[in-house]
Amino acid sequence: MELAIGIILGLCALGAGMAMIAGIGPGIGEGNAVASACEAIGRQPECRGAVTTTMLMGCAVAETTGLYAFVIAFLLLFVAPGRFVNILVDTMSSLG
Amino acid sequence: MSKIDDTVRRETVYIAVWVLILSVIMQAVFLVVGQWKIGVLLSNVLSATAAIANFLIMGITIQKAVDKEQKDAAQMMKFSQSARLFMQFAFAAVGVLLFNAIIPSIVPLFFPRVAIAFRPYIGKKTDSKVEE
Repeated sequence: MELAIGIILGLCALGAGMAMIAGIGPGIGEGNAVASACEAIGRQPECRGAVTTTMLMGCAVAETTGLYAFVIAFLLLFVAPGRFVNILVDTMSSLG
Repeated sequence: MSKIDDTVRRETVYIAVWVLILSVIMQAVFLVVGQWKIGVLLSNVLSATAAIANFLIMGITIQKAVDKEQKDAAQMMKFSQSARLFMQFAFAAVGVLLFNAIIPSIVPLFFPRVAIAFRPYIGKKTDSKVEE
């Protein structure tokens, strides 16, 4: 029983870590966007305000992807272990 | 300390107003379904603060990054994104562990995205006012 619970907790932590791999993508994407914006502002300094506004919104949208991964990891860490252990205990008790 | 750009300030205020409105709606929904407790309110406040702070820090980072070289700007943005994601995780974890309220701890983090989805409609009105 303890071994099964340990495996459940370990796999949940592993899954959370794997889910957070998706958090890398928005960072790279935002970095590329800002680098391109630097180039654009360098060419046309007068459009700085418009570029900043568009980039702010774009970065916030890109970041949502990371947040989805974050939510999965969060649920795997804080919600799933309890549920899975409950299911295990119920199954074991019904089997006798 | 460098001054916050007007664009960043304006957009943060816009996001903050939307987060406030959506938080009130979420609290009303919790009240209607009979699941409201003080922990729901406090965890909502915590996560809403994290969402607004995330947007503000992102804006300040962008404001600073556009003055740098391309490579440095990209590195700065990547580091900022990681740090902000960790900050949001910490805020949400505190909300869950202290108040045992998962939904109000997570959902407000998506409110800025909802605000941006409505941005074109609000933007059109603002632009037409400016043109007048």
